Amino acid sequence: MSLATITRHGPEISDAIVSFDPVTLQRKPVKKADVLIQFRQLRNHEAVRIVEQMPEQDGFLDPAAVDKILITSHCEMQRMSEEFQHGKRVAELLKPILNALRDGGVKNPIRIVDIGCGTGFVIRWLAASGSLGDDVQLMGVDFNVALLNEAQRLATIENLRCKFEVANAFRLDEPATVFISTGILHHFRDESLSYLLQQHCRAETCAFVHFDFHSSPMAPLGSWLFHAVRMREPLARHDGVLSAVRAHKSRYLLEVTRRAAPEFVSAIYGTRLWRMPIPRVFHSLVGIRPKYRDAFIRNMGTRVASLGKIE
Amino acid sequence: MIPVFLWLLATIDSAFIGYREAAGRNALIDKRAYYRRALIRGALVGQVAVVIVGVIAAIILVNSNNPSALFSKIESVGARMLTVYVPYAVILLITFLIRTFPSVDIRSITSTVIFGPFTLIRPIVVLAGAVWGVLAAPGAITIALTVLIVCLMLGLGGILSWLRSRGLIS
Repeated sequence: MSLATITRHGPEISDAIVSFDPVTLQRKPVKKADVLIQFRQLRNHEAVRIVEQMPEQDGFLDPAAVDKILITSHCEMQRMSEEFQHGKRVAELLKPILNALRDGGVKNPIRIVDIGCGTGFVIRWLAASGSLGDDVQLMGVDFNVALLNEAQRLATIENLRCKFEVANAFRLDEPATVFISTGILHHFRDESLSYLLQQHCRAETCAFVHFDFHSSPMAPLGSWLFHAVRMREPLARHDGVLSAVRAHKSRYLLEVTRRAAPEFVSAIYGTRLWRMPIPRVFHSLVGIRPKYRDAFIRNMGTRVASLGKIE
Repeated sequence: MIPVFLWLLATIDSAFIGYREAAGRNALIDKRAYYRRALIRGALVGQVAVVIVGVIAAIILVNSNNPSALFSKIESVGARMLTVYVPYAVILLITFLIRTFPSVDIRSITSTVIFGPFTLIRPIVVLAGAVWGVLAAPGAITIALTVLIVCLMLGLGGILSWLRSRGLIS
């Protein structure tokens, strides 16, 4: 995607080419013509070009071909996550949260559930690092079977202690203690974002950490640069840039969260670096039950400088 | 010393081309062995490119009426190329040293400020060094050799990708 053709409106290609029944989680066929019409109406010509190249069967996008593209894209995204030390970044923020929960007497095991985990990079990285402790269970959930099969395949090769499940993260038999996610918040707009955050308000859930692109004037340019030099898959290039453009502003995220999930105190972590206005690639929306707040802040140590006001 | 420096830079550059070509194709968490192979593969393919340039340059020199004068011309082109390529390489090497600091923020900044933009401008740097070098001793032979070098520097990644698409590397 070139900088000149970035559109702020409309979905990413990866949102438009797959569809799932929210109740049964069954995959629904997607008419290629409908997707093309949608992007044409949005004047997103690059997306039209990319979708036009995708194989179809009887007018519907070929699910196997779509999955192959998505797995390739996720692999390329993982490369960027590795370059930006995302696994370590998640661990560094989870540790003080988990220690606060332990101090507060949360019963074991602590279950961390990654919402929309894709091929499960974060969960697999956390499992491989072993940095969160033996009392932590790691689980990734997603609607896409192919992505989860790939996540499980990779975890099995490296003998990692984590699991993946096709499920609605908020309807698990064994509920999450901590919800995490990477790069999903900007997929949800307005009411659907509010609904997503409302779902955290369940008794077993003690905290959440959602990483997403940090919205800043430099973000679209920076994202374009990195996707141009690091990505090969056209869909990954397109969606990566669009993600940065569509990222929510920190203030908006906080407003929605505090309204939708009032049982939690929340803040943005990582908007500023070393107390200076240096833009960052990712920031995160952190929510924690008020009774763990003080311990969490204490456990953050010097990193508390990057944490906004938590209330 | 100039040919040695050029060889050294070509080897380092091609090793990193090997790394970049392999990156984003393997989703395992522990990829140290995978990337080690990629770096070595890139460096080895780079040696093939160096040999091609060396052999062609040697043939031209042997058939020249005045080999020492021609060698001086080629060397002066190489020296001027180094004035562009060495600072680029030094900045990258310093950035690698900074990246060894165990901080996610510092490591991320090395990517956003140096590694990403420098990957983007690499083709421009390659061309700038070539043009600047040729200006030291313009002539059919120096231009032809420089064009060959530029093609190899910019085409190595494509060659590796082609080898991968044929299943010759993994």
